[in-house]
Amino acid sequence: MSKDENTRKRQRYRRAWRMTWLLLAFALLVPLVPYGLAATGVQLNNPGTDLWRAVRQRVQEPTSTQVENIDGSVLINTWGEEWRNFRANLLVPGGAVLLLGTLALILLFYLYRGRIKIEGGRSGKLVPRFSVNQRVAHWFAASQFVILGVTGLVLLYGRYVLIPLLGPEGFSATAAACKAIHNLFGPIFPFALIGIIFLFGRGNWFRMLDFKWFMQAGGLFSHHIADSGYYNGGQKTWFWMTVLFGFLISASGLVLDFPVFGQGREVMAGAHLVHAVVALSFVAAALGHIYIGTLGMEGAAESMTQGYVDANWAKEHHNLWYEEMEKAGMVDVAPNALEEVKRHDVIDFKGFGSPGGKEPDAEG
Amino acid sequence: MFLEFVQGPLWYVSATVFVLGVSIRLWEVLSKGLKPDLSTPRADGTGGALRTIVSRSWTAEGFSRGATFHLIAGYMFHLGLFLLLFWAAPHVVFIEERILGFGWTPAPHWLFIVAADLAFAGLILLWLRRVLHPVMRRISTFDDHAGAILTFLVMFTGCMALLKGHDSLRAIHMLTVEMLMIYFPFSRLMHAFTFALSRGYTGAAMARKGVQA
Repeated sequence: MSKDENTRKRQRYRRAWRMTWLLLAFALLVPLVPYGLAATGVQLNNPGTDLWRAVRQRVQEPTSTQVENIDGSVLINTWGEEWRNFRANLLVPGGAVLLLGTLALILLFYLYRGRIKIEGGRSGKLVPRFSVNQRVAHWFAASQFVILGVTGLVLLYGRYVLIPLLGPEGFSATAAACKAIHNLFGPIFPFALIGIIFLFGRGNWFRMLDFKWFMQAGGLFSHHIADSGYYNGGQKTWFWMTVLFGFLISASGLVLDFPVFGQGREVMAGAHLVHAVVALSFVAAALGHIYIGTLGMEGAAESMTQGYVDANWAKEHHNLWYEEMEKAGMVDVAPNALEEVKRHDVIDFKGFGSPGGKEPDAEG
Repeated sequence: MFLEFVQGPLWYVSATVFVLGVSIRLWEVLSKGLKPDLSTPRADGTGGALRTIVSRSWTAEGFSRGATFHLIAGYMFHLGLFLLLFWAAPHVVFIEERILGFGWTPAPHWLFIVAADLAFAGLILLWLRRVLHPVMRRISTFDDHAGAILTFLVMFTGCMALLKGHDSLRAIHMLTVEMLMIYFPFSRLMHAFTFALSRGYTGAAMARKGVQA
Protein backbone atom coordinates (compact mmCIF):
# COMPACT_ATOMS: atom_id res chain seq x y z
CA MET A 1 0.00 0.00 0.00
CA SER A 2 1.43 3.47 -0.99
CA LYS A 3 1.87 6.31 1.46
CA ASP A 4 -0.82 8.42 -0.23
CA GLU A 5 -3.27 5.65 0.03
CA ASN A 6 -2.60 5.34 3.77
CA THR A 7 -3.08 9.06 4.26
CA ARG A 8 -6.40 8.99 2.41
CA LYS A 9 -7.55 6.08 4.47
CA ARG A 10 -6.69 7.88 7.74
CA GLN A 11 -8.50 10.97 6.50
CA ARG A 12 -11.61 8.93 5.70
CA TYR A 13 -11.42 7.35 9.12
CA ARG A 14 -11.18 10.74 10.82
CA ARG A 15 -14.07 12.05 8.74
CA ALA A 16 -16.21 9.09 9.77
CA TRP A 17 -15.46 9.75 13.44
CA ARG A 18 -16.27 13.43 13.07
CA MET A 19 -19.60 12.56 11.44
CA THR A 20 -20.38 10.11 14.21
CA TRP A 21 -19.65 12.70 16.90
CA LEU A 22 -21.67 15.30 15.05
CA LEU A 23 -24.66 12.96 14.72
CA LEU A 24 -24.43 12.04 18.38
CA ALA A 25 -24.28 15.70 19.41
CA PHE A 26 -27.19 16.45 17.10
CA ALA A 27 -29.25 13.59 18.58
CA LEU A 28 -28.56 14.82 22.08
CA LEU A 29 -29.18 18.46 21.37
CA VAL A 30 -32.30 18.23 19.21
CA PRO A 31 -34.66 17.38 22.13
CA LEU A 32 -33.42 20.50 23.87
CA VAL A 33 -34.52 22.71 21.01
CA PRO A 34 -38.17 23.01 22.19
CA TYR A 35 -36.93 24.07 25.62
CA GLY A 36 -34.66 26.57 24.05
CA LEU A 37 -37.48 27.86 21.88
CA ALA A 38 -39.85 27.87 24.81
CA ALA A 39 -37.34 29.96 26.69
CA THR A 40 -37.41 32.43 23.87
CA GLY A 41 -41.24 32.47 23.86
CA VAL A 42 -41.82 30.37 20.73
CA GLN A 43 -44.69 27.80 21.16
CA LEU A 44 -44.36 24.32 19.64
CA ASN A 45 -47.12 21.71 19.74
CA ASN A 46 -46.19 18.24 20.97
CA PRO A 47 -48.15 15.76 18.87
CA GLY A 48 -48.85 13.69 22.02
CA THR A 49 -50.10 16.64 24.02
CA ASP A 50 -53.73 16.38 22.97
CA LEU A 51 -53.82 12.67 23.64
CA TRP A 52 -52.30 12.91 27.10
CA ARG A 53 -54.38 15.92 27.98
CA ALA A 54 -57.46 13.91 27.06
CA VAL A 55 -56.21 11.02 29.14
CA ARG A 56 -55.48 13.16 32.17
CA GLN A 57 -58.69 15.11 31.92
CA ARG A 58 -60.67 11.93 31.51
CA VAL A 59 -62.21 13.02 28.19
CA GLN A 60 -64.04 9.92 27.08
CA GLU A 61 -64.09 10.51 23.33
CA PRO A 62 -60.52 9.68 22.31
CA THR A 63 -60.29 6.72 24.65
CA SER A 64 -62.08 3.45 24.10
CA THR A 65 -61.76 0.03 25.62
CA GLN A 66 -63.14 -3.43 25.25
CA VAL A 67 -63.28 -3.78 29.03
CA GLU A 68 -66.88 -3.19 30.04
CA ASN A 69 -66.48 -1.69 33.46
CA ILE A 70 -67.14 1.49 35.39
CA ASP A 71 -64.15 3.75 34.73
CA GLY A 72 -62.77 1.03 32.43
CA SER A 73 -61.65 3.63 29.88
CA VAL A 74 -59.88 5.81 32.44
CA LEU A 75 -56.11 5.48 32.11
CA ILE A 76 -55.08 8.11 34.64
CA ASN A 77 -57.39 9.10 37.48
CA THR A 78 -56.06 12.49 38.50
CA TRP A 79 -58.70 12.83 41.22
CA GLY A 80 -57.30 9.66 42.73
CA GLU A 81 -53.97 11.40 43.25
CA GLU A 82 -55.73 14.26 45.02
CA TRP A 83 -57.57 11.76 47.19
CA ARG A 84 -54.31 9.91 47.97
CA ASN A 85 -52.63 13.17 48.93
CA PHE A 86 -55.58 14.15 51.09
CA ARG A 87 -55.54 10.80 52.86
CA ALA A 88 -51.79 10.71 53.44
CA ASN A 89 -51.11 14.36 54.20
CA LEU A 90 -54.29 15.63 55.82
CA LEU A 91 -56.64 12.90 56.95
CA VAL A 92 -54.20 10.62 58.75
CA PRO A 93 -52.20 13.28 60.62
CA GLY A 94 -55.26 15.52 61.10
CA GLY A 95 -57.31 12.65 62.49
CA ALA A 96 -54.51 11.70 64.85
CA VAL A 97 -54.30 15.29 66.10
CA LEU A 98 -58.08 15.34 66.56
CA LEU A 99 -58.21 12.07 68.52
CA LEU A 100 -55.10 12.65 70.62
CA GLY A 101 -56.13 16.26 71.16
CA THR A 102 -59.54 15.15 72.40
CA LEU A 103 -57.93 12.69 74.79
CA ALA A 104 -55.58 15.42 76.00
CA LEU A 105 -58.50 17.82 76.56
CA ILE A 106 -60.37 15.14 78.50
CA LEU A 107 -57.29 14.52 80.62
CA LEU A 108 -56.88 18.25 81.26
CA PHE A 109 -60.55 18.53 82.18
CA TYR A 110 -60.20 15.57 84.53
CA LEU A 111 -57.15 17.15 86.19
CA TYR A 112 -59.03 20.45 86.53
CA ARG A 113 -62.43 19.22 87.63
CA GLY A 114 -61.81 15.68 88.85
CA ARG A 115 -64.69 13.27 88.96
CA ILE A 116 -67.97 15.15 89.21
CA LYS A 117 -69.37 13.77 92.43
CA ILE A 118 -72.94 13.68 93.60
CA GLU A 119 -72.74 16.77 95.82
CA GLY A 120 -75.32 15.58 98.29
CA GLY A 121 -73.92 12.07 98.35
CA ARG A 122 -75.97 9.02 97.47
CA SER A 123 -79.45 9.24 98.91
CA GLY A 124 -80.19 5.55 98.49
CA LYS A 125 -83.43 6.52 96.76
CA LEU A 126 -83.69 5.47 93.14
CA VAL A 127 -85.47 7.09 90.22
CA PRO A 128 -86.27 5.12 87.04
CA ARG A 129 -84.55 6.73 84.05
CA PHE A 130 -84.15 4.48 80.99
CA SER A 131 -86.36 1.55 79.98
CA VAL A 132 -84.98 -1.86 79.03
CA ASN A 133 -85.70 -1.17 75.37
CA GLN A 134 -83.84 2.13 75.51
CA ARG A 135 -80.86 0.50 77.16
CA VAL A 136 -80.83 -2.39 74.69
CA ALA A 137 -80.95 0.11 71.82
CA HIS A 138 -78.14 2.14 73.40
CA TRP A 139 -75.81 -0.79 74.01
CA PHE A 140 -76.61 -2.34 70.65
CA ALA A 141 -75.58 0.86 68.91
CA ALA A 142 -72.59 1.15 71.26
CA SER A 143 -71.43 -2.38 70.47
CA GLN A 144 -71.62 -1.68 66.74
CA PHE A 145 -69.87 1.64 67.24
CA VAL A 146 -66.99 0.06 69.15
CA ILE A 147 -66.54 -2.81 66.67
CA LEU A 148 -66.66 -0.49 63.66
CA GLY A 149 -64.62 2.23 65.36
CA VAL A 150 -61.79 -0.05 66.45
CA THR A 151 -61.58 -1.89 63.13
CA GLY A 152 -61.80 1.39 61.22
CA LEU A 153 -58.99 2.93 63.25
CA VAL A 154 -56.86 -0.17 62.68
CA LEU A 155 -57.38 0.22 58.94
CA LEU A 156 -56.46 3.91 59.06
CA TYR A 157 -53.64 3.90 61.61
CA GLY A 158 -52.57 0.25 61.83
CA ARG A 159 -49.73 0.78 59.38
CA TYR A 160 -48.14 3.31 61.74
CA VAL A 161 -49.06 1.77 65.10
CA LEU A 162 -49.34 -1.98 64.61
CA ILE A 163 -46.53 -2.83 62.18
CA PRO A 164 -43.87 -1.99 64.79
CA LEU A 165 -45.73 -4.20 67.28
CA LEU A 166 -46.93 -7.11 65.14
CA GLY A 167 -44.58 -6.99 62.18
CA PRO A 168 -45.74 -6.85 58.55
CA GLU A 169 -47.18 -10.39 58.56
CA GLY A 170 -49.08 -9.88 61.81
CA PHE A 171 -50.44 -6.56 60.63
CA SER A 172 -51.46 -8.04 57.30
CA ALA A 173 -53.59 -10.67 59.04
CA THR A 174 -54.98 -8.10 61.50
CA ALA A 175 -55.86 -5.68 58.71
CA ALA A 176 -57.53 -8.44 56.67
CA ALA A 177 -59.58 -9.47 59.71
CA CYS A 178 -60.52 -5.87 60.50
CA LYS A 179 -61.54 -5.17 56.92
CA ALA A 180 -63.80 -8.21 56.83
CA ILE A 181 -65.35 -7.33 60.20
CA HIS A 182 -65.79 -3.67 59.28
CA ASN A 183 -67.49 -4.52 56.00
CA LEU A 184 -69.74 -7.17 57.52
CA PHE A 185 -70.85 -5.21 60.59
CA GLY A 186 -71.25 -1.96 58.66
CA PRO A 187 -74.75 -2.65 57.32
CA ILE A 188 -76.01 -3.36 60.86
CA PHE A 189 -75.18 0.15 62.07
CA PRO A 190 -78.01 1.98 60.21
CA PHE A 191 -80.52 -0.26 61.98
CA ALA A 192 -78.93 0.49 65.34
CA LEU A 193 -79.20 4.17 64.45
CA ILE A 194 -82.90 3.80 63.67
CA GLY A 195 -83.37 2.19 67.09
CA ILE A 196 -81.64 5.15 68.74
CA ILE A 197 -83.79 7.66 66.84
CA PHE A 198 -87.04 5.89 67.73
CA LEU A 199 -86.28 5.28 71.37
CA PHE A 200 -84.42 8.48 72.23
CA GLY A 201 -85.94 10.94 69.76
CA ARG A 202 -88.74 12.14 72.00
CA GLY A 203 -87.66 14.91 74.30
CA ASN A 204 -84.52 15.73 72.34
CA TRP A 205 -85.80 18.88 70.61
CA PHE A 206 -83.91 21.94 71.77
CA ARG A 207 -85.69 24.43 74.01
CA MET A 208 -84.80 27.82 75.42
CA LEU A 209 -83.77 26.04 78.59
CA ASP A 210 -80.98 24.31 76.72
CA PHE A 211 -79.47 27.55 75.49
CA LYS A 212 -79.29 28.73 79.08
CA TRP A 213 -77.62 25.41 79.85
CA PHE A 214 -75.07 26.09 77.09
CA MET A 215 -74.47 29.63 78.39
CA GLN A 216 -73.44 28.11 81.70
CA ALA A 217 -71.46 25.34 79.93
CA GLY A 218 -73.74 22.93 81.69
CA GLY A 219 -72.05 23.75 84.97
CA LEU A 220 -69.07 21.67 83.93
CA PHE A 221 -66.62 24.36 85.02
CA SER A 222 -68.46 25.39 88.16
CA HIS A 223 -70.15 23.55 90.94
CA HIS A 224 -73.52 25.00 90.00
CA ILE A 225 -75.20 22.61 87.56
CA ALA A 226 -77.50 24.40 85.14
CA ASP A 227 -81.26 23.73 85.11
CA SER A 228 -82.25 20.83 82.93
CA GLY A 229 -85.18 18.59 82.09
CA TYR A 230 -85.03 14.92 81.12
CA TYR A 231 -82.17 15.59 78.69
CA ASN A 232 -79.77 18.51 79.06
CA GLY A 233 -78.30 20.57 76.22
CA GLY A 234 -75.20 18.42 76.02
CA GLN A 235 -77.17 15.21 75.74
CA LYS A 236 -79.39 16.72 73.08
CA THR A 237 -76.34 17.87 71.13
CA TRP A 238 -74.88 14.37 71.35
CA PHE A 239 -78.18 12.90 70.16
CA TRP A 240 -78.33 15.13 67.09
CA MET A 241 -74.65 14.56 66.38
CA THR A 242 -75.36 10.84 66.51
CA VAL A 243 -78.23 11.25 64.06
CA LEU A 244 -76.27 13.45 61.64
CA PHE A 245 -72.96 11.61 61.85
CA GLY A 246 -74.75 8.27 61.91
CA PHE A 247 -76.67 9.08 58.75
CA LEU A 248 -73.58 10.36 56.90
CA ILE A 249 -71.41 7.47 58.02
CA SER A 250 -74.08 4.91 57.12
CA ALA A 251 -74.79 6.35 53.68
CA SER A 252 -71.11 6.72 52.76
CA GLY A 253 -70.31 3.33 54.27
CA LEU A 254 -72.95 1.57 52.20
CA VAL A 255 -71.60 3.23 49.04
CA LEU A 256 -68.15 1.85 49.91
CA ASP A 257 -69.33 -1.55 51.09
CA PHE A 258 -71.41 -2.41 48.03
CA PRO A 259 -69.62 -1.09 44.93
CA VAL A 260 -72.00 -2.88 42.61
CA PHE A 261 -74.44 -0.11 41.82
CA GLY A 262 -72.43 1.70 39.18
CA GLN A 263 -70.47 4.00 41.47
CA GLY A 264 -67.11 4.89 39.96
CA ARG A 265 -63.79 5.77 41.55
CA GLU A 266 -64.69 9.42 42.10
CA VAL A 267 -67.86 8.52 43.94
CA MET A 268 -65.97 5.95 46.00
CA ALA A 269 -63.19 8.40 46.82
CA GLY A 270 -65.75 11.04 47.79
CA ALA A 271 -67.61 8.53 49.95
CA HIS A 272 -64.34 7.54 51.60
CA LEU A 273 -63.55 11.16 52.32
CA VAL A 274 -66.95 11.78 53.94
CA HIS A 275 -66.81 8.43 55.76
CA ALA A 276 -63.36 9.00 57.24
CA VAL A 277 -63.85 12.63 58.26
CA VAL A 278 -67.23 11.95 59.86
CA ALA A 279 -66.00 8.75 61.53
CA LEU A 280 -63.03 10.50 63.13
CA SER A 281 -65.27 13.34 64.33
CA PHE A 282 -67.79 10.79 65.63
CA VAL A 283 -65.11 8.86 67.52
CA ALA A 284 -63.68 12.07 69.00
CA ALA A 285 -67.14 13.16 70.18
CA ALA A 286 -67.85 9.66 71.52
CA LEU A 287 -64.68 9.83 73.65
CA GLY A 288 -66.25 12.77 75.47
CA HIS A 289 -69.57 10.95 75.78
CA ILE A 290 -67.90 7.83 77.16
CA TYR A 291 -65.80 9.85 79.61
CA ILE A 292 -68.67 11.85 81.06
CA GLY A 293 -70.87 8.77 81.21
CA THR A 294 -68.36 6.69 83.17
CA LEU A 295 -65.21 8.04 84.81
CA GLY A 296 -66.16 11.69 84.61
CA MET A 297 -69.40 11.67 86.54
CA GLU A 298 -70.47 9.67 89.55
CA GLY A 299 -73.85 8.03 89.16
CA ALA A 300 -74.26 8.55 85.41
CA ALA A 301 -73.37 5.10 84.09
CA GLU A 302 -75.98 3.28 86.16
CA SER A 303 -78.77 4.99 84.22
CA MET A 304 -77.67 2.92 81.23
CA THR A 305 -76.65 -0.22 83.09
CA GLN A 306 -79.37 -0.50 85.73
CA GLY A 307 -82.00 1.85 84.35
CA TYR A 308 -82.10 3.78 87.63
CA VAL A 309 -80.29 6.81 88.97
CA ASP A 310 -79.83 8.05 92.49
CA ALA A 311 -82.36 10.71 93.49
CA ASN A 312 -79.62 13.18 94.42
CA TRP A 313 -77.95 12.69 91.03
CA ALA A 314 -81.28 13.36 89.32
CA LYS A 315 -81.85 16.42 91.53
CA GLU A 316 -78.42 17.85 90.73
CA HIS A 317 -78.17 17.10 87.02
CA HIS A 318 -81.78 17.06 85.83
CA ASN A 319 -83.56 19.09 88.49
CA LEU A 320 -86.68 19.88 86.47
CA TRP A 321 -87.17 16.25 85.49
CA TYR A 322 -86.60 15.23 89.11
CA GLU A 323 -89.35 17.62 90.30
CA GLU A 324 -91.67 16.04 87.76
CA MET A 325 -90.80 12.56 88.96
CA GLU A 326 -91.29 13.58 92.55
CA LYS A 327 -94.76 14.92 91.75
CA ALA A 328 -95.57 11.66 89.96
CA GLY A 329 -94.47 9.68 93.02
CA MET A 330 -91.70 7.98 91.11
CA VAL A 331 -88.87 8.71 93.52
CA ASP A 332 -87.68 5.97 95.84
CA VAL A 333 -89.56 3.20 94.14
CA ALA A 334 -88.01 -0.09 95.26
CA PRO A 335 -86.35 -1.66 92.27
CA ASN A 336 -87.59 -5.18 92.78
CA ALA A 337 -87.98 -7.39 89.76
CA LEU A 338 -91.76 -7.24 89.59
CA GLU A 339 -91.83 -3.47 89.72
CA GLU A 340 -89.16 -3.25 87.06
CA VAL A 341 -91.06 -5.55 84.76
CA LYS A 342 -94.19 -3.49 85.21
CA ARG A 343 -92.34 -0.31 84.45
CA HIS A 344 -90.36 -1.52 81.49
CA ASP A 345 -92.64 -3.91 79.73
CA VAL A 346 -96.19 -3.05 80.63
CA ILE A 347 -96.27 0.63 81.41
CA ASP A 348 -93.15 1.34 79.38
CA PHE A 349 -92.44 4.66 81.06
CA LYS A 350 -95.58 6.40 79.82
CA GLY A 351 -96.56 9.13 82.24
CA PHE A 352 -93.40 8.72 84.26
CA GLY A 353 -92.09 12.12 83.38
CA SER A 354 -89.98 10.66 80.62
CA PRO A 355 -89.60 12.55 77.36
CA GLY A 356 -93.21 11.79 76.58
CA GLY A 357 -94.24 13.91 79.54
CA LYS A 358 -94.35 17.66 79.53
CA GLU A 359 -90.96 19.11 80.13
CA PRO A 360 -91.01 22.57 81.69
CA ASP A 361 -89.18 25.10 79.63
CA ALA A 362 -87.29 28.14 80.81
CA GLU A 363 -90.39 30.25 80.94
CA GLY A 364 -92.45 27.56 82.60
CA MET B 1 -48.18 -25.96 63.01
CA PHE B 2 -51.09 -24.42 64.88
CA LEU B 3 -53.36 -24.82 61.86
CA GLU B 4 -52.30 -28.45 61.48
CA PHE B 5 -53.11 -29.08 65.13
CA VAL B 6 -56.58 -27.52 65.01
CA GLN B 7 -57.37 -29.13 61.67
CA GLY B 8 -55.98 -32.48 62.76
CA PRO B 9 -55.95 -33.91 66.29
CA LEU B 10 -58.09 -31.22 67.91
CA TRP B 11 -60.71 -31.49 65.18
CA TYR B 12 -61.04 -35.26 65.69
CA VAL B 13 -61.19 -34.90 69.48
CA SER B 14 -63.83 -32.17 69.39
CA ALA B 15 -65.88 -33.97 66.73
CA THR B 16 -65.80 -37.14 68.85
CA VAL B 17 -66.84 -35.28 71.99
CA PHE B 18 -69.61 -33.55 70.06
CA VAL B 19 -71.03 -36.65 68.39
CA LEU B 20 -70.72 -38.89 71.45
CA GLY B 21 -71.94 -36.22 73.84
CA VAL B 22 -74.99 -35.31 71.78
CA SER B 23 -75.82 -38.98 71.22
CA ILE B 24 -75.61 -39.79 74.93
CA ARG B 25 -77.74 -36.78 75.87
CA LEU B 26 -80.38 -37.73 73.30
CA TRP B 27 -80.29 -41.36 74.35
CA GLU B 28 -80.77 -40.26 77.97
CA VAL B 29 -83.88 -38.29 77.02
CA LEU B 30 -85.34 -40.95 74.76
CA SER B 31 -84.58 -43.85 77.09
CA LYS B 32 -86.73 -42.32 79.81
CA GLY B 33 -89.74 -43.12 77.66
CA LEU B 34 -93.26 -42.00 78.47
CA LYS B 35 -95.21 -42.49 81.66
CA PRO B 36 -97.95 -45.08 81.22
CA ASP B 37 -101.19 -43.32 80.38
CA LEU B 38 -103.89 -45.11 82.39
CA SER B 39 -106.77 -42.91 81.30
CA THR B 40 -108.48 -43.04 77.93
CA PRO B 41 -106.75 -40.44 75.71
CA ARG B 42 -109.07 -37.66 74.63
CA ALA B 43 -107.06 -36.99 71.48
CA ASP B 44 -104.24 -38.48 69.49
CA GLY B 45 -100.86 -37.90 71.15
CA THR B 46 -98.86 -37.93 67.93
CA GLY B 47 -101.05 -35.25 66.37
CA GLY B 48 -100.73 -33.15 69.52
CA ALA B 49 -96.96 -33.58 69.49
CA LEU B 50 -96.63 -32.48 65.86
CA ARG B 51 -99.06 -29.60 66.36
CA THR B 52 -97.13 -28.30 69.36
CA ILE B 53 -93.76 -28.60 67.63
CA VAL B 54 -95.10 -26.26 64.95
CA SER B 55 -97.29 -24.00 67.11
CA ARG B 56 -94.46 -23.22 69.57
CA SER B 57 -92.61 -21.61 66.70
CA TRP B 58 -94.54 -18.42 67.33
CA THR B 59 -95.91 -16.76 70.41
CA ALA B 60 -99.07 -17.98 72.08
CA GLU B 61 -102.11 -15.73 72.02
CA GLY B 62 -101.98 -13.15 74.75
CA PHE B 63 -98.19 -13.24 75.03
CA SER B 64 -97.35 -11.62 71.73
CA ARG B 65 -96.63 -8.12 73.08
CA GLY B 66 -94.13 -9.19 75.67
CA ALA B 67 -92.47 -11.72 73.39
CA THR B 68 -92.24 -9.71 70.18
CA PHE B 69 -88.61 -8.80 70.81
CA HIS B 70 -87.60 -12.40 71.41
CA LEU B 71 -89.63 -13.63 68.47
CA ILE B 72 -87.99 -11.24 66.00
CA ALA B 73 -84.45 -11.30 67.42
CA GLY B 74 -84.67 -15.06 67.95
CA TYR B 75 -85.61 -15.74 64.34
CA MET B 76 -83.01 -13.27 63.08
CA PHE B 77 -80.30 -15.12 64.96
CA HIS B 78 -81.40 -18.71 64.42
CA LEU B 79 -82.27 -18.41 60.74
CA GLY B 80 -79.13 -16.40 60.07
CA LEU B 81 -76.93 -18.91 61.86
CA PHE B 82 -78.62 -21.87 60.17
CA LEU B 83 -77.99 -20.32 56.75
CA LEU B 84 -74.37 -19.54 57.61
CA LEU B 85 -73.72 -22.97 59.04
CA PHE B 86 -74.98 -24.95 56.07
CA TRP B 87 -74.84 -22.59 53.09
CA ALA B 88 -71.81 -20.34 53.58
CA ALA B 89 -69.42 -21.24 50.75
CA PRO B 90 -66.40 -22.11 52.97
CA HIS B 91 -68.63 -24.33 55.15
CA VAL B 92 -70.03 -26.18 52.14
CA VAL B 93 -66.47 -26.87 50.98
CA PHE B 94 -65.46 -28.01 54.47
CA ILE B 95 -68.47 -30.31 54.80
CA GLU B 96 -67.72 -31.79 51.38
CA GLU B 97 -64.00 -32.26 51.96
CA ARG B 98 -63.90 -33.21 55.63
CA ILE B 99 -67.27 -34.70 56.62
CA LEU B 100 -69.71 -35.98 54.01
CA GLY B 101 -67.72 -36.29 50.82
CA PHE B 102 -70.35 -34.37 48.88
CA GLY B 103 -71.54 -30.81 48.89
CA TRP B 104 -74.28 -28.57 47.54
CA THR B 105 -74.67 -25.15 45.98
CA PRO B 106 -73.66 -22.51 48.50
CA ALA B 107 -75.66 -19.35 49.12
CA PRO B 108 -74.83 -16.36 46.91
CA HIS B 109 -72.65 -13.69 48.48
CA TRP B 110 -75.50 -11.23 49.06
CA LEU B 111 -77.48 -13.87 50.96
CA PHE B 112 -74.41 -14.71 53.00
CA ILE B 113 -74.06 -11.02 54.00
CA VAL B 114 -77.75 -10.78 54.92
CA ALA B 115 -77.61 -14.01 56.94
CA ALA B 116 -74.43 -12.96 58.77
CA ASP B 117 -75.82 -9.53 59.64
CA LEU B 118 -79.11 -11.01 60.84
CA ALA B 119 -77.29 -13.58 62.95
CA PHE B 120 -74.90 -11.06 64.50
CA ALA B 121 -77.60 -8.47 65.19
CA GLY B 122 -79.98 -11.10 66.58
CA LEU B 123 -77.38 -12.64 68.88
CA ILE B 124 -76.16 -9.31 70.24
CA LEU B 125 -79.72 -8.09 70.81
CA LEU B 126 -80.73 -11.28 72.58
CA TRP B 127 -77.68 -11.24 74.83
CA LEU B 128 -78.13 -7.55 75.66
CA ARG B 129 -81.74 -8.25 76.58
CA ARG B 130 -80.53 -11.07 78.78
CA VAL B 131 -78.16 -8.85 80.76
CA LEU B 132 -80.30 -5.72 80.82
CA HIS B 133 -83.77 -7.08 81.56
CA PRO B 134 -84.08 -7.46 85.33
CA VAL B 135 -85.93 -10.77 85.22
CA MET B 136 -83.92 -12.22 82.36
CA ARG B 137 -80.74 -11.29 84.19
CA ARG B 138 -81.88 -13.08 87.34
CA ILE B 139 -82.89 -16.31 85.61
CA SER B 140 -79.75 -16.45 83.45
CA THR B 141 -76.92 -18.73 84.48
CA PHE B 142 -73.26 -18.98 83.57
CA ASP B 143 -74.23 -21.53 80.93
CA ASP B 144 -76.47 -19.05 79.10
CA HIS B 145 -73.73 -16.45 78.94
CA ALA B 146 -71.02 -18.95 78.04
CA GLY B 147 -73.11 -20.39 75.21
CA ALA B 148 -73.91 -16.95 73.81
CA ILE B 149 -70.33 -15.69 74.08
CA LEU B 150 -68.84 -18.85 72.55
CA THR B 151 -71.30 -18.69 69.68
CA PHE B 152 -70.44 -15.03 69.14
CA LEU B 153 -66.73 -15.85 69.15
CA VAL B 154 -67.24 -18.57 66.57
CA MET B 155 -69.17 -16.21 64.31
CA PHE B 156 -66.76 -13.33 64.90
CA THR B 157 -63.64 -15.36 64.14
CA GLY B 158 -65.39 -16.79 61.09
CA CYS B 159 -65.98 -13.23 59.95
CA MET B 160 -62.30 -12.42 60.61
CA ALA B 161 -61.24 -15.27 58.34
CA LEU B 162 -63.51 -14.23 55.47
CA LEU B 163 -60.77 -12.77 53.28
CA LYS B 164 -58.90 -16.10 53.33
CA GLY B 165 -55.19 -15.90 52.51
CA HIS B 166 -54.25 -15.98 56.20
CA ASP B 167 -54.02 -19.46 57.72
CA SER B 168 -53.68 -18.02 61.21
CA LEU B 169 -57.17 -16.47 61.00
CA ARG B 170 -58.68 -19.72 59.75
CA ALA B 171 -56.91 -21.59 62.56
CA ILE B 172 -58.38 -19.21 65.17
CA HIS B 173 -61.85 -19.79 63.73
CA MET B 174 -61.35 -23.56 63.77
CA LEU B 175 -60.18 -23.36 67.39
CA THR B 176 -63.30 -21.49 68.54
CA VAL B 177 -65.52 -23.89 66.60
CA GLU B 178 -63.84 -26.83 68.34
CA MET B 179 -64.23 -25.17 71.75
CA LEU B 180 -67.93 -24.77 71.03
CA MET B 181 -68.25 -28.38 69.85
CA ILE B 182 -66.67 -29.64 73.06
CA TYR B 183 -68.86 -27.39 75.21
CA PHE B 184 -72.05 -28.04 73.26
CA PRO B 185 -73.23 -31.41 74.68
CA PHE B 186 -72.80 -30.22 78.27
CA SER B 187 -74.78 -27.02 77.84
CA ARG B 188 -78.18 -25.62 77.04
CA LEU B 189 -77.04 -25.34 73.46
CA MET B 190 -78.38 -28.90 73.28
CA HIS B 191 -81.76 -27.24 72.67
CA ALA B 192 -80.74 -27.27 69.00
CA PHE B 193 -81.56 -31.01 69.14
CA THR B 194 -83.91 -31.34 72.11
CA PHE B 195 -86.38 -28.56 71.28
CA ALA B 196 -88.45 -30.89 69.12
CA LEU B 197 -88.45 -33.64 71.78
CA SER B 198 -89.45 -31.19 74.50
CA ARG B 199 -92.25 -29.62 72.50
CA GLY B 200 -93.41 -33.01 71.23
CA TYR B 201 -93.53 -34.50 74.73
CA THR B 202 -95.55 -31.58 76.07
CA GLY B 203 -97.84 -31.55 73.05
CA ALA B 204 -98.53 -35.30 73.22
CA ALA B 205 -99.19 -35.28 76.96
CA MET B 206 -101.53 -32.30 76.74
CA ALA B 207 -103.35 -33.69 73.71
CA ARG B 208 -104.10 -36.94 75.57
CA LYS B 209 -105.48 -34.88 78.44
CA GLY B 210 -107.56 -32.82 76.05
CA VAL B 211 -105.69 -29.63 76.85
CA GLN B 212 -104.73 -27.18 74.14
CA ALA B 213 -100.98 -26.77 74.48
